[in-house]
Amino acid sequence: MSLRRLFALSSLAFLAVLAVSPVKNALRSYRSIQRDFQRAGMARAATVKAAQSYASRPIAIQQIWIPELDNRVDRCTTCHLGVADEAMADAREPFRQHPATVHTPRDFDRFGCTTCHGGEGLATSEDDAHGTAADAASPIVPAAYAESGCGRCHQSSFVAEAPTLSEGRALMEKSGCFACHAARGYEDFRSDAPPLDTIAVKTGGEWLERWLSNPKAVDPNATMPNFRFSRLEIRDLSHYLFSRSVPPELRDAVAAASSEPAGVAAKGKILFAESRCISCHTVDGKGNRSAPELGTIASRATRGWLIAFIRDPHAFNPQTRMPRYGFSDADVRDIVAWFEDDLRDFDAPPTILDPLRVNQTLAARGQKVFKSAGCSACHSSTAEEAERFGPDLDGVGDRRAISLDFGKRNDLPRTLEAWLAAKVSDPRSFASGLKMPTFAFDAAQRRAIVTALLAMPAKPVPEAYRNAPAQQASLVPGGAIGAIVSRYRCLSCHQIGSRGGDISSAPLTFEGSKVNRDWLAKYLIVPYSIRPILPERMPVLRISQAEAQMLAEAIETWYVDGSIPDDPFADRPDSDRDAAEGARLYTTLGCRSCHIIGNNGGYYGPPLTDTRARLKPGWVFRFLQNPQRWRADTRCPNYGLTDTDALRLTAYLESLSPPAKLAATEAGR
Amino acid sequence: MKFAGLLCVTIVLLASCQRAQRSPRAVAPSRGSLYELRIGKQVYQTYCVGCHGDAGQGDGFNSFSLDPHPRDLGDPAFQKSKSSADLADVIRRGGAGVGLSSLMPPWGHTLDARHVDAVVLYVRSLKRNQ
Repeated sequence: MSLRRLFALSSLAFLAVLAVSPVKNALRSYRSIQRDFQRAGMARAATVKAAQSYASRPIAIQQIWIPELDNRVDRCTTCHLGVADEAMADAREPFRQHPATVHTPRDFDRFGCTTCHGGEGLATSEDDAHGTAADAASPIVPAAYAESGCGRCHQSSFVAEAPTLSEGRALMEKSGCFACHAARGYEDFRSDAPPLDTIAVKTGGEWLERWLSNPKAVDPNATMPNFRFSRLEIRDLSHYLFSRSVPPELRDAVAAASSEPAGVAAKGKILFAESRCISCHTVDGKGNRSAPELGTIASRATRGWLIAFIRDPHAFNPQTRMPRYGFSDADVRDIVAWFEDDLRDFDAPPTILDPLRVNQTLAARGQKVFKSAGCSACHSSTAEEAERFGPDLDGVGDRRAISLDFGKRNDLPRTLEAWLAAKVSDPRSFASGLKMPTFAFDAAQRRAIVTALLAMPAKPVPEAYRNAPAQQASLVPGGAIGAIVSRYRCLSCHQIGSRGGDISSAPLTFEGSKVNRDWLAKYLIVPYSIRPILPERMPVLRISQAEAQMLAEAIETWYVDGSIPDDPFADRPDSDRDAAEGARLYTTLGCRSCHIIGNNGGYYGPPLTDTRARLKPGWVFRFLQNPQRWRADTRCPNYGLTDTDALRLTAYLESLSPPAKLAATEAGR
Repeated sequence: MKFAGLLCVTIVLLASCQRAQRSPRAVAPSRGSLYELRIGKQVYQTYCVGCHGDAGQGDGFNSFSLDPHPRDLGDPAFQKSKSSADLADVIRRGGAGVGLSSLMPPWGHTLDARHVDAVVLYVRSLKRNQ
């Protein structure tokens, strides 16, 4: 072969190799997609100029580069060309405009696309970018779990505008997931589960067996999952739990209570209703569902235990959210008498509360079951006893599908979300010998929890992107006032700053600037329904006169908002005090659709006839200007009132005289 | 011989590039995404449900103390007679703002434009068939 011929051939080969790259580029799928977009844009364009701008778009890779967010490069907009284009609101994918959210369209350049949606940002073909291949590093997050993206930056339990994520996080906390699984931000998590020391004097062997075989079947409000214990394990566990030594003072209290004379059920029924127990508990499903169902309580706990517990719940469980009511000894006997008359399981055998005769051999075996099932992760009296033996949850949202153990589950698609959903709904189905118990989540709850799990990244987003709402100062006093707040468990329902429960719609953070002290002291003793539509109401705690006075004084002193004026009318013209003009505003604004004055109006908001007795004028004024200022979900609309109008309305509300009946009661006191 | 071999390689290379070319998946256009509807539902359940009711039939628990009664939002004739801009307008300015009853309050200072649009989308989804 001549040298020339060889040279010619190698030149040709060289040229061919050189041509590969440009030819490959010319044939890339995004180029035809971009040409489609040009055509789609021109077809939609309203003006010639707009059409021309679509036509003159260069065919090129588009990208969003964010060096400060892990040097992210997202080329998604190479095909998703209409994400910020209003003309593409109802276009077909991949051209459709991104739905309006808090962050779109204004924050595309701050977050890119893959921060929220997952997927491979650098890729420019659909399969690679969406990670449809079985072992893709970061497949796209399916739309059903899209809110998991929010949760990677937003660290708080409640995230506004992400209802699914918020529900998932709340459910995980309520179900006690973090008692077994460690996760960032939940280092101090403690389960709500009660200590088990007093089981032997609380219930019977038969009831305990029923509970251990399926807690939800006994009490639909139960947060304890089903451990699917075998019959033998249940027997052994029962013997172990009955063998645990009861603290002597509690044993004595229960024994003394059980020998007390019977109470009067009819009185107990009234006391029970007054005490608004269903603000937390349920009776036959009616109530708040954040504490045990009481419909069959008398078949669940012995009379002695119930009496002793209601008298001093905190002695039995220092963590409990239940207040120590100021009942008299007879009151509690009456309430429990009513329980025994009406709130019992009439189908249960009469022996359901009979104590178990402990067999020490079985109890020793039960103790092993107790340990291996991990009961102490939730039921421990000290933090040291609790052991987190489940796998860490950090990074679970970034697990590659190929790294997951699907075990026996050949029926599942090989994706992370399918694996998580199956783990959450039926954790034992993957292999035999797995420990995680079964929670009775429905499909919506499962979706919420998977969303929350997918929001748990291996590596947290950079500091600048982390969003946790500022912790509000939560002054919870010590001393005598602290003891009252703790005794009546105010924080189980009310919030102070960032602490406390959300059963009540009235946070106490600025209560001192809101209500009058004298009104509050009376209200604490005899509360009435301010918002009659809510099933959760302030219970009659049987608080003493002295305690109520002290608490009202403390609240007025400490829980104040400095921006609320004492006298909103100071330095204002007399015309701002025009109550008649305020009355006219009250009518034209339609306030009566929600509020009652006299006998007239709706009952969505609180009645306003007693405004002067209840509320401070400075607070009324500021509230009218911006009702959502203290709680974002306050229903009262913001009318955008001027200072003058807000003051006139305030003057009108302050001028109302309380209804004759109320005035008469006041005079009588 | 060698030349033909090279040609083959080139052709195979080209063909493999071609394989990736595919037209984008067609998705039926929808009015508003799932997300906007969900936000709209959240807004509706917070602010509107008390009077207009769960299904928008004007039968919320507070509706019985109102005269005139809240609008039945599911009524197909009503839905047909109002544009989305009309609905957004009455939500923003209230009944009094459009010459109707002041018992429907204005929400323009409480909800931002995005939330108003979202709740309009949700109200549209309450339309009954027939």
